Amino acid sequence: MKNEVLEGTIVRKEMKKMKKFVIIALSLVLVVSLVTSCAKTTPTAKKPTLGLVLSTLTNPFFVTLLDGAQEEAKTSGVTLIAMDSQNDSAKEASNIEDLISRKVDAILVNPTDADAVVPSIKKANDANIPVITIDRAANGGVVVSHIASDNVAGGKMAAEFLGKALNGKGKVVELQGIAGTSAARDRGTGFDTTMAKEFPDIQIIARQTADFDRAKGLSVFENILTAQPMIDGVFAQNDEMVLGAIQAAEAAKRTGITFVGYDAVDDAITAIKGGKLAATVQQQPAVMGKLGVETAVNALNGQTVDKFIPVPLNLVTKENTP
Amino acid sequence: MAKEKTFNEFLRNSSAYLILLGLVVIFTTLTPRFLSLTNLINVFLQTSIVALLAIGQTFVMLTGGIDLSVGMVGICCGAIAAGFATGYGFGFTLGTYPALILGLLLGATLGGISGLLIVLGNFPPFVATLVMMAIAQGITLVFTQGRPIAGLPSSFIFWGSGSVGGIPMPVLLLVIGVVLAYFLLTCTSFGLYIYAIGGNKEMARLSGISARKVELGAYIISGLTAALGGLVLTGRLASAQPNVGEGLNLDSIAACVLGGTSLFGGKGNMLKTLVGALIMGALANGLNLIGVPSYPQLVIKGLVFIAAVTLYIVSSRKH
Amino acid sequence: MAENQVSLEMHGISKSFPGVQALKEVDLILHRGEILGLVGENGAGKSTLMNILTGILHSDTGIITLKGKPVNIENPRQAQIMGISIIHQELSVLPNLTVGQNVFLGREPRLPIHFLVDWKNLYYLAKEHFKKLNLDIDPHILLSELSVAQRQMVEVARALSFKADIVVMDEPTSTLTEMEVKNLFSLIHTLKEQGISIVFISHRLEEIFRIVDRVIVLRDGVLVGSAPISQVDPKQLVMMMVGRELKEMFPKESLPQKEKVLSVKNLKRGKDLKGVSFDLHRGEILGLAGLVGSGRTFVARAIFGADPLEEGEIWIEGKKVQIRSPQEAISYGISFLPEDRKAQGLFLKLPLSSNIAITDMKELSFLGIIIFKKLQELASSFVNKLKIRTPSIFQIVRNLSGGTQQKVVLAKWLALKPKVLILDEPTVGIDVATKAEIHALMNGLAKEGVAILMISSELPEVLGVSDRILVMHEGLISGEFLRQDATQDKIMLCATGGANNG
Repeated sequence: MKNEVLEGTIVRKEMKKMKKFVIIALSLVLVVSLVTSCAKTTPTAKKPTLGLVLSTLTNPFFVTLLDGAQEEAKTSGVTLIAMDSQNDSAKEASNIEDLISRKVDAILVNPTDADAVVPSIKKANDANIPVITIDRAANGGVVVSHIASDNVAGGKMAAEFLGKALNGKGKVVELQGIAGTSAARDRGTGFDTTMAKEFPDIQIIARQTADFDRAKGLSVFENILTAQPMIDGVFAQNDEMVLGAIQAAEAAKRTGITFVGYDAVDDAITAIKGGKLAATVQQQPAVMGKLGVETAVNALNGQTVDKFIPVPLNLVTKENTP
Repeated sequence: MAKEKTFNEFLRNSSAYLILLGLVVIFTTLTPRFLSLTNLINVFLQTSIVALLAIGQTFVMLTGGIDLSVGMVGICCGAIAAGFATGYGFGFTLGTYPALILGLLLGATLGGISGLLIVLGNFPPFVATLVMMAIAQGITLVFTQGRPIAGLPSSFIFWGSGSVGGIPMPVLLLVIGVVLAYFLLTCTSFGLYIYAIGGNKEMARLSGISARKVELGAYIISGLTAALGGLVLTGRLASAQPNVGEGLNLDSIAACVLGGTSLFGGKGNMLKTLVGALIMGALANGLNLIGVPSYPQLVIKGLVFIAAVTLYIVSSRKH
Repeated sequence: MAENQVSLEMHGISKSFPGVQALKEVDLILHRGEILGLVGENGAGKSTLMNILTGILHSDTGIITLKGKPVNIENPRQAQIMGISIIHQELSVLPNLTVGQNVFLGREPRLPIHFLVDWKNLYYLAKEHFKKLNLDIDPHILLSELSVAQRQMVEVARALSFKADIVVMDEPTSTLTEMEVKNLFSLIHTLKEQGISIVFISHRLEEIFRIVDRVIVLRDGVLVGSAPISQVDPKQLVMMMVGRELKEMFPKESLPQKEKVLSVKNLKRGKDLKGVSFDLHRGEILGLAGLVGSGRTFVARAIFGADPLEEGEIWIEGKKVQIRSPQEAISYGISFLPEDRKAQGLFLKLPLSSNIAITDMKELSFLGIIIFKKLQELASSFVNKLKIRTPSIFQIVRNLSGGTQQKVVLAKWLALKPKVLILDEPTVGIDVATKAEIHALMNGLAKEGVAILMISSELPEVLGVSDRILVMHEGLISGEFLRQDATQDKIMLCATGGANNG
């Protein structure tokens, strides 16, 4: 009787001790197995390895870009390592440093900021790794090629469509992207100059930044709706913002506004089909990714590549939705 | 029994080191590139900004407080210093060194304002520094108009991108910062008072310690190291970026916690904070090197964090 | 017959912590309706034994039998279900809840809709429960509005609401005054009559002799004696506890001088202090008696600059001074040992050496940089002088016993070489041997010319140690006695306000 009780307590304690270690061991095993299962197989010596650093992967545009790049990488038989900077210049610097550490053959970068990326590009230059910029250009360092849509042309395209849709007069709101990004700058410039030149009777009554973000587009446009009783048209420098703005207008039961977006993401196409969005400038992120990998492979093969490779744009309206 | 206790004590005292060691072992077996000198310097370099912020954060957390503003204060100081160095926004340039010094002073001032709100206004640290976070972000955005400030003189960029004897400047500054902070905490009466306040503020006061001054000092130091981190980041990116830094607050707190600093104050150690920051840096770097895509990376980081804290808690259990 | 029924038996209980055998083969038998005194010095293993009984700790070996059945007590909750309740030395009631809520916390009666609390029923049950215990406390009021003694009663009531057969009381009287102790004891007798067994832990021997039926003594984790209380006398009991004979419980040898060191005049602060004046002389030990809440502690805190004064003057060595902060008080040579050493006296997470040195950093540092050699010398000298039992001066004070901790607090303040030493309940919860050491130390300091103001709730201590005694009642000095004139009755009369009314 007595011994049973005694042994009972001892066994219990041993089990407790065991439990602790099992928990620790299990969590370590879990981490290790996750790490290893996610790890790609190391590239063979002959196959070139490309690093692709994207400013963010929470935006579908860049996910599509990545898809295009991956497809092209598969067909041309190169290994592609994709990295996400999460819109943080410091993280981007780390990502590029890590790629240099891994001794990749070329780096494709979609910078978070034109200036912040320069020291990283210089590091790659020092390590003799060619750099190609995608979508957003860099303000320094040696870059083999820059691949981007002609955003000034895109902005112009949007202005021409909106101007015609409004018959050359009315009040227009412009939702701007992250300040300082070349995309925001170029799209804005193309739109503003065209508006001023070709449609002098159209008044741009508000220009506010919504950081290329749908939630911000929503809240910023809510405020504009409150402030402006009359709005005829909206140009947003990307679709995320315009979709947010459409939501705001619907919630406020404001009609008669012509919305024009940029990027032609899936949601935007649906919105065009549903008649909520009038048009969007289609960039071709998949093509952009494909061209990026193609250009890198060409450069690695010793061919000369163009300094700037424009990616074609087109305007998507209800008539030509894919 | 006694053996288990000492083993637990060992685990508790060195859990941070063990986790770092574990990561190094795992990554070294998975890729030979991890343990190369250049990569190790990379890890330190990538850790340096968060670690600089975590130095001041450790002082604040030791007093039982928290500083949510470090990231934004750092960015703000970086932007203002960049303004002084380039003439952006001010219309005149002061040269690199006056700009850097003014940046540091601004950090100390902003930290000091948080501290004054706390010790004189009796604001809870969480609220005071949350307010400071908003103010610092506001100042930054008003000053930069949300745009990056580029065109920094090379002497400014040197502090973030340059190197001395192969060691990058941020790493050098970090080492100096940690050594100074370690000295301050272990060898001075100010350091002792910091621990005392975190243990029991009322009692520290009854012991004749001017608890207010010491606590204020902790926030000034936090502002100062935040500014240093911000200036280094500005140099590293060759431009002042108004939109980075949101993650830095939490990262600096995470570094302290991974290093075993108590959220309730009175317990913690500067070297372990550095180790905590290195754990995060090594993890990010290692996962990148072995090619883990970015989405699962977040999950793994969370798991490692859980493992670290669990290890610490399990080994801290008294009975 | 029922009296002799065994309620609880603990047999061969051993427990070790790293480096310490806390309990070694301890046996304990508790009968139904018995009040068992459990005594021993700090660190003798009393708390460990009770923590094992209440499921907070698990024994390494040994068995516990409840009403003849062997049981395995896994955790405090299980202990409660088995009818074992403990009332801890430190109160564990929640001041921000009402009395009734505290009593039924975690077991609130529910309405038919299960997640709603049946408040009406809860307060009714609480009231009925109090009636059974002869307690006159309104269950609706917030606990924070009660006195410490009343809170203690609520804690007892809570413990009993678990239908406990066995109640462990760990130092229940340490914060109570004489009157309140009487109330508690009558409550204990009520419980005894209902057949409830009680384990009563106390350092106050006279209480042990007043209340318990039988006493058991622990020393260094070993059971050294067990006897009906009628068969032992205090001297024997102390000898069992400390393992040797103590010469005198309250030795007295100092002689106060004429010179005034500290004078306070008309100290006022709200309803806590309504105009307190007195003088303190060089080499004098001035006892300050009074009920808890009479303002004793506020006098000390006011002199030390811990709370601001509304009115009044403080004179140090004939000079009028302004004391606005503890720092200033220290600069005038005043030291203050607060009442609650865990909350106000020690930095539990810091080592012993830092705790002693922290008030004196100006002396021990140069340009703010600590001179470690000086610091260690200071700590070592006090460890020797005060016979502080510690494995090293770097020991974290949380791991030291209560008596040792109190010596560390003393050392911390003596390091400043004070002229005026204010001690608030310096020996609460401290074993007899250490208590005697602290009293001897106070005498020694007085001899060296230090003026000591000692606040104490333990009347024998006040009477034994003081040269002169002040009694406080409701923020005023209600009586003053010379050592030779004072008696417990006279002091109690003043402390309860009887002297003014009658």
